[in-house]
Amino acid sequence: MPTGLSYREKSLYASLLTELCVYGPYFFLHQHNSVNKVAGMIIAIIVLQTILQAIIAAFTRNRITDERDRLIELRGYRAGYLTIASLMVVGLGMLWFHATVGHLPMDNRMMGLHFLSVFFGMLVVADITKTATQIVAYRRAI
Amino acid sequence: MPTIRNQIRELRAAREMTQQQLADRIGVTRQTVIAIEQDKYSPSLETAFKVALVLGVPLDQCFQYDPRGKR
Repeated sequence: MPTGLSYREKSLYASLLTELCVYGPYFFLHQHNSVNKVAGMIIAIIVLQTILQAIIAAFTRNRITDERDRLIELRGYRAGYLTIASLMVVGLGMLWFHATVGHLPMDNRMMGLHFLSVFFGMLVVADITKTATQIVAYRRAI
Repeated sequence: MPTIRNQIRELRAAREMTQQQLADRIGVTRQTVIAIEQDKYSPSLETAFKVALVLGVPLDQCFQYDPRGKR
């Protein structure tokens, strides 16, 4: 692990790695999403994050965070919020379009799973945006 | 040219102080000291005063405000 990185940066890289490793296969490999798979993914994220963050904490002597870390964190949350707000508008627009046009041949259960997947995807994209924005801010030394 | 410039690198070098030592004394990370020295990050007033105190100089000798500068 590069020694030039602060504790927060290492932690962010670990988060991004975990998110990509867990969410990537879920969204790109699974053809049929289900509540069980979503629950499994959440458990996988928690377990992987706990292990990686514990390793980073154990191997990092200086674990202080300062005002710049908090500023970068806020920037990350702002980017994440703007992403999820934008995706929500698009998602609700698509829902309205499908409801109006009526070309959505799915029963109620499938409809529920479909929107679970869509809205969960929005959360995932927003989370990855938040983490990536913070990493970029650190790399640009802001 | 940035709005707030500083002479921390020169003042620190004159005192043979490392970035890590300065960071430890003002309670920030070494990466933050690097960002401040490169004029990429303007610290809070509290941190600016701490820097001046640790380096033993008045605040305006550490930091200068340039009203024509751009961030």
